[in-house]
Amino acid sequence: MSVPNTMRVGPFTPTILARKRYLIFYFFLIWASIIPLLLEFWIYWQLLWSYSRPVHFYTYLPLLAFLMYVTIVFAAIFFTKILLLIINVIHKPREGVFLRIPADRDYRYWSLRNTIKRWPVWLAHRFPFPGILDNICFKMFGVKTKISNSLFEGWVDTEFIDFGKDVVVGQGAIVQSAVIIGNLLIIRKTIIEEGVRIGSHSIIMPGTHIGHNCILAANSVTTVGQELEKGWIYVGIPAKKFKKNYFFEDGLEEKLGHVEDVEALRKKYEEIYTKRYDELTYKERKELKKEKKEKEKKRFDLEEYDDYEDGFNI
Amino acid sequence: MSEDSEDNNSSNQNEVLKEDVNLQYHLYILIFAGIFYSSWVIPGICFFVYLLQFFLPNVLETANILFVFTKVKPLLTFLIMPLVLIGCYLLHLFLLGLVTKLFWIFTEKMSPSKSGIIPRNIRSRAANYYHIRSFMIKYGKNAFTKGALPWLSNWFFNFVGSNKIGKGTTLEESLVNDKFVEIGSNCYLGVNSSLASHLVQGIFGNISYFKINVGNNVTSSAMTQIGPGSEVHDNSYFLPLASTSKHSIIKGNNYYWGIPLRKIFRKKIMEYLDVSPQYLERNENIEGYKDKELLTKLKAKEISKTISENISVNENLISESDEETIDISNLSKDELSLDFTTSSAISRVNIKFLAVYLPIFWVAGLIVSIFWYWYLLYENWIPILAFLPLAIFGSIYFFIVACILFCKLFLILVNLIHKPKEGIFKAEIGDKDFEFWMLRTELKKIALWFMRNSPLPWTDVFALKLFGIEMDSSSHLNDAWCDVEFIKFGRKNLIGQGASIMSSMVVGKYLIIKKVVCDDYIMVGGLSTIAPGTIMGKESVIGALSSTTVNQVLESLWVYFGFPAIKLKENKYGEERRDVILKRDVDKAKKFEMEHEVNIDEDKKDLIKIEKEIEKS
Repeated sequence: MSVPNTMRVGPFTPTILARKRYLIFYFFLIWASIIPLLLEFWIYWQLLWSYSRPVHFYTYLPLLAFLMYVTIVFAAIFFTKILLLIINVIHKPREGVFLRIPADRDYRYWSLRNTIKRWPVWLAHRFPFPGILDNICFKMFGVKTKISNSLFEGWVDTEFIDFGKDVVVGQGAIVQSAVIIGNLLIIRKTIIEEGVRIGSHSIIMPGTHIGHNCILAANSVTTVGQELEKGWIYVGIPAKKFKKNYFFEDGLEEKLGHVEDVEALRKKYEEIYTKRYDELTYKERKELKKEKKEKEKKRFDLEEYDDYEDGFNI
Repeated sequence: MSEDSEDNNSSNQNEVLKEDVNLQYHLYILIFAGIFYSSWVIPGICFFVYLLQFFLPNVLETANILFVFTKVKPLLTFLIMPLVLIGCYLLHLFLLGLVTKLFWIFTEKMSPSKSGIIPRNIRSRAANYYHIRSFMIKYGKNAFTKGALPWLSNWFFNFVGSNKIGKGTTLEESLVNDKFVEIGSNCYLGVNSSLASHLVQGIFGNISYFKINVGNNVTSSAMTQIGPGSEVHDNSYFLPLASTSKHSIIKGNNYYWGIPLRKIFRKKIMEYLDVSPQYLERNENIEGYKDKELLTKLKAKEISKTISENISVNENLISESDEETIDISNLSKDELSLDFTTSSAISRVNIKFLAVYLPIFWVAGLIVSIFWYWYLLYENWIPILAFLPLAIFGSIYFFIVACILFCKLFLILVNLIHKPKEGIFKAEIGDKDFEFWMLRTELKKIALWFMRNSPLPWTDVFALKLFGIEMDSSSHLNDAWCDVEFIKFGRKNLIGQGASIMSSMVVGKYLIIKKVVCDDYIMVGGLSTIAPGTIMGKESVIGALSSTTVNQVLESLWVYFGFPAIKLKENKYGEERRDVILKRDVDKAKKFEMEHEVNIDEDKKDLIKIEKEIEKS
């Protein structure tokens, strides 16, 4: 149902301004996109206005308002796209880890891209008819998505994201391709495949790859670059495998049941987080450690470690 | 009123005061009217004067479009029009800030905001002015942070004096962050990160109202919850969904995450963020990298590396594609039980719904245009301009009310064709229940969307009642995401910001619709998720960031917390009114006690038991 005013998490562009002068572009876009609107109004005025009997003028006015809103969104998308193309020629958007300081070129251009995208995305998101205009914006600005996907209840970043068919982003969920942590700006491509259900208030970090028919439960978080295997249900902070997802099979209407003992469920749930290490034998543990070490060596090219505690997280 | 409560108390010392908590909107609405009127009247006049004096004769009356572009005067008027619009909008924002500031200063004089627990069930000046302040900042906050120029919201908070925000700090759209917070410079608080300086505990309990101090260079990526009275020191970096309870002390220079908050080690952070140690080193020594040339040199080395990595990832994606068949009859009960919660977002956007939208939009708009026709009929411009804000406000609400009525009409028709019912349905086009569920949801969404975006979002209670929630107007859920059918509310329920109450849930291919029943005096914390079929007993509380499972029953007089929500402690907030608070040092994982003063009028201090008296008894 309707997302409350306090929670409506659009428009989907961060409000960071690396340089104040980027607002000039923003104001230019507002100015440029209102011009077609005025022309439209001029035509309408010429057609229907009469001083003695303005009945037609007032009758069709609501429809004109509707049309004008759609026009301003498309005009804004058009001008923004042109500006964006020019900016992307000067500096190609790319993935990586950048620094959150204006001296960093990638950070600056990321901020500029977001600033100019804000106007059309804001307009589209303020429109009462849900989804369509948002999805058109996403498609124009480089997010691969289908028009039928419902992405408008949460926050979805406007670049470096691929969506498959039939994806549901729950209310208040956040799908990111760029995240700021400390002085780092991490931009990674997020891929969400067909038939994924993202629970409400869950957060998807950049670089996450969710396989198809996955379910991410409410209030879960993925880590950067996490791969969620297809056909599984993931739960928790960070998201961990919970059970296999059979809810895409036919004919289960009668069989779906609910939990009776919630405290037992909570225990089971906590087990996912705490067991792994202590239940293994010494040999297995050693092997696991070795494997992990090699994996990290590969990933980070590093030779030695600092203090490290394998604390559990819930 | 105050005499009554004193009498009650003196007659029976042990009984807890459960006097009704009234939200006195009737008084607050005058303040809103003042803010609304004075922020719109001057910009409205400016715009109207430009429209009628310049735009109408020069542009609209020009019959030939060529003349508009070839003559200097019409062309200028035409091109300046958008600038006038922007200017009027900026003027509106400025006046909004100014008037809110005046009201804010007045309330601060009457009862200054200070840290302390405010009893909720005893009428006092402190509680009243606390409510007034929370109410009046909302309109300005929404106008700024959700408006076209969110970059000005820092100015607004600083100007009004509700928050202190340092230079270079960015606050993303959020649920609270609107008062009694001090933030240093160069911080970034991502979307829905809430620095909640106030927290309501139980319907008859207390409001914890403590100042939050945030140091410099603090970042949080998204949905971080920081409780009242917390101290966040420089260079604390929060990962998503990190949340702390009240009175936490965070030392800084580290990464934090989890519920409840804890610091994480260097190794783990590298795993979570998938970054190499060199970046962590850069993060720590950021001052050394503020040189453009150095950065470009460093980057040139890294580019070749990242490209090769990307290709290898893509190959992985293609290789995993093997199908397996599943026999449904063999699935165990455990595998099919709904022991997790997802969302209730509608699963596809449908252009078909435009057929419903357009007529409703048109008919409701027609009423507004008739109103404006009538309004502009009198050629006396002074009253027209003076009542302009009222006319704007009126047309918003005419539109909304008309929308609601027509939506209701459609809804009755739709429900006659297909009666809404509970059960488990297939979430696919072709299933009648699913399609009608979508249609119903979309229909209600139009009216609710407008209502919740209007200047007075809490009026949506009337729409919710009309559309099918069984409730009375004493409950407060305008800050929550809420399904509008198969929900029953008792009296005086308080649903927190961003919570979602779902009577329907999409799990895989299935849509589950089940009635949610809430008894009286329920509290649901912010950002928690209530699954379909949940039954909440009287005076039960669900903490923030928790979720229930399908058909869960919450016992009355208990506080629940977690995923899934289990019993945490008994709800005794009505009885407990302590002047001792428990502070928590996050880095050392230690707790220690501190005294503070309960924030209540002098003449009502005797109504409160303080710690020493409790010990004596």
